[in-house]
Amino acid sequence: MTYLQAISDAMREEMRADERVFVMGEDIGTFGGAFKVTDGFIDEFGPLRVMDTPLAESGIVGTAIGAAVEGMRPIAEMQFSDFISCGFDQLVNVAGKMYYRQGLSVNITVRLPSGGGFSGGPFHSQNPEAWFMHSPGLKVVAPSTAEDAKGLLISAVRDPNPVVYMEHKHLYRRVKGDVDGGTYETPFTARLAREGEDLVVITYGAMVHTALEATEDLDGASVEVLDLRSLVPLDEEAILASVRKCSKVVIVDEANQTCAAGAQVAALIAERGWEDLDGPVVRVATPDVPIPFSPPLEQAVLPQVDDVREACRELLEY
Amino acid sequence: MPQMGVSVAEGTVVEWRKQPGDWIEADEIIAAISTDKIDTDVEAPATGRVQELIVDVGETVEVGTVLARIATDARPGEAHVSEGQSSAGGTSEAAAAMESSGEAGELKGDTTVREEKAPARGPRRYSPVVMRIAAEHDVDLEQVEGTGRGGRVRKQDVLAYIEQGGGEEPPMHIESPYRPDEPAAAKTRKPHFDAPAAEPGPAPEPAPAAAGSAPLSRMRQAIGARMLQSLQTAATCTTIVEADLIRIEAARATSGFTYLPYIARATVEVLREYPALNATLQDDTVTTYDGVHLGIAVSLGEGGLIVPVIRDAQELSVEGLAKRIKDLAQRARGNALTPDEVRGGSFTITNPGSAGSIMATPVINQPQVAILDTEAVVKRPVVITDELGNDSIAIRPMTYLCMSWDHRALDGVAAAQFLNALRKKLESWPTS
Repeated sequence: MTYLQAISDAMREEMRADERVFVMGEDIGTFGGAFKVTDGFIDEFGPLRVMDTPLAESGIVGTAIGAAVEGMRPIAEMQFSDFISCGFDQLVNVAGKMYYRQGLSVNITVRLPSGGGFSGGPFHSQNPEAWFMHSPGLKVVAPSTAEDAKGLLISAVRDPNPVVYMEHKHLYRRVKGDVDGGTYETPFTARLAREGEDLVVITYGAMVHTALEATEDLDGASVEVLDLRSLVPLDEEAILASVRKCSKVVIVDEANQTCAAGAQVAALIAERGWEDLDGPVVRVATPDVPIPFSPPLEQAVLPQVDDVREACRELLEY
Repeated sequence: MPQMGVSVAEGTVVEWRKQPGDWIEADEIIAAISTDKIDTDVEAPATGRVQELIVDVGETVEVGTVLARIATDARPGEAHVSEGQSSAGGTSEAAAAMESSGEAGELKGDTTVREEKAPARGPRRYSPVVMRIAAEHDVDLEQVEGTGRGGRVRKQDVLAYIEQGGGEEPPMHIESPYRPDEPAAAKTRKPHFDAPAAEPGPAPEPAPAAAGSAPLSRMRQAIGARMLQSLQTAATCTTIVEADLIRIEAARATSGFTYLPYIARATVEVLREYPALNATLQDDTVTTYDGVHLGIAVSLGEGGLIVPVIRDAQELSVEGLAKRIKDLAQRARGNALTPDEVRGGSFTITNPGSAGSIMATPVINQPQVAILDTEAVVKRPVVITDELGNDSIAIRPMTYLCMSWDHRALDGVAAAQFLNALRKKLESWPTS
């Protein structure tokens, strides 16, 4: 099953299991969604549970919030994660603060197809997870495998808080894996993608695959890869455990470098992992520029396998 | 003589690191001093040329006494006072500096000092994890060969060095070394609290002969004075209970800690229930405390003994206490405690059980009213009773909890109740 099919499967199974769950978004009904994630849903569940919406992200998120307060469990799809900026106020100020202000649970899941690598240009390639990490009241998860794509989405739907679900477009059809049938939950904790001892690469989303490829055969070094899976809550103990074991850390973000999720990880390590460090914390991330449309330029700004390999090699030799 | 913490009244100069005529930067170490609490370094308060050392090595003076003079209007390029003139005496410090500046304007004196300061290769810098491992294993990092960039010592280098037998595990563990049937020829452990033992002579002498004599160190003198003062002041009694540590042993199996942090945590919890023991007595006034400022006696080997204090120990878990005890012990052995870290305790634990003793009557750390002594944990056959009332004999890790207390402040019943509560706490420790 592909990563994309796992997302579809999670929603389909959860909608079958729980009639409070419904999906809404732009062109997700008859058309089946821009990426065909909800292909066929309207035939099985009907237009009341597979709602086509106007092109108004603010309205989509706001409607979802209202439904959630009334006891429903909406899953709102943004066609591209970049477009969530139009629904920012509803998500950050209304959904994120509702429980704090009024004690009301906003059980919504907002799916954000994110990331670049396919010449989508500056409006269709961003990784905006850090916007929401910085906003209290929201949870943020980002699966890297088909199995976690399904389990994390089901956990997100069942979580009483608003959850921002980052699904990486570049992984949709490129990542495949065995996925259990029915429904299961994946906890909002980190996952060891590979165990190692000499150095740990901490990352999430599509960069997990970049990190695994880059360090598969690195001059015989034993390199650990930690897949964060959840950015809020951040699995601090798992991060510190890897730092304790390996003492050398490379953090990879596909997002723009400044204040990215990896910046928070680096700060955590500086504060609580200091005595375990045997070298500087090294970051590999996209520079603070828009994602270019031109394929060679896009390759030049997004972290590539060679960039990660070079960073690891440098740090191992330190 | 600087004020090193509120309770220090005087200090002794142990060593001068600079001589008259040397150039010194502000905050550079000028002398080593010793007080009744602690040995420490004195940093220069200002930049200039050392003019005069007023207090000799070995001399004890009150806080506030001028130790030395630094001519702050001197310049690094000027010649030494000693080079510039014969010691005429009677010159005021400002005048001396002025005269020397008038006599020699070349860079002679200073360049010498600079060259001495800069070693052939730069000082090695170490990563946090390397320094931590080195401290834990008492490794001199200068002896470790680095394989990192530019000869940098990496984590694997220091680990390999330890693997090959370099460094030494500090004696932190209180696991019982008690071996009743140990043959006489086996190596003997050096008791931590004894004065330096005389070297055994090559052959037995017919009559007792002195193997050497030395004046008591300043630390020993201070310990002696304080212990004697305690015994002369307090009405010291000692009460002992026996505790079964099988549940603590189970907890230790997963945590890897020594017994001490568990006993410390249990003591802190019980002290909160028995504030009469978490107290100080001074001039007919008993003061009890809400928080527990827990003193932990740390052996400095032959150097003596020091009691760093964990302030508000009630806020620390077993893990937190273990970490703090380790940190304090390491810094105590490295002479890196600040004077305020060795004062203000409300209760003290001493822990000589690592040397194999099973019972002792500790001396109260004045002005506190009690001190708990933890001894070796020894396997003994004991009678245990199950929930149906059936007795059986089992082998259990047992220890004696010995507490000296001041009969002026409390009575034996209170001491026994406290120790019994401590025993119950240890014997019902949650195992998870």
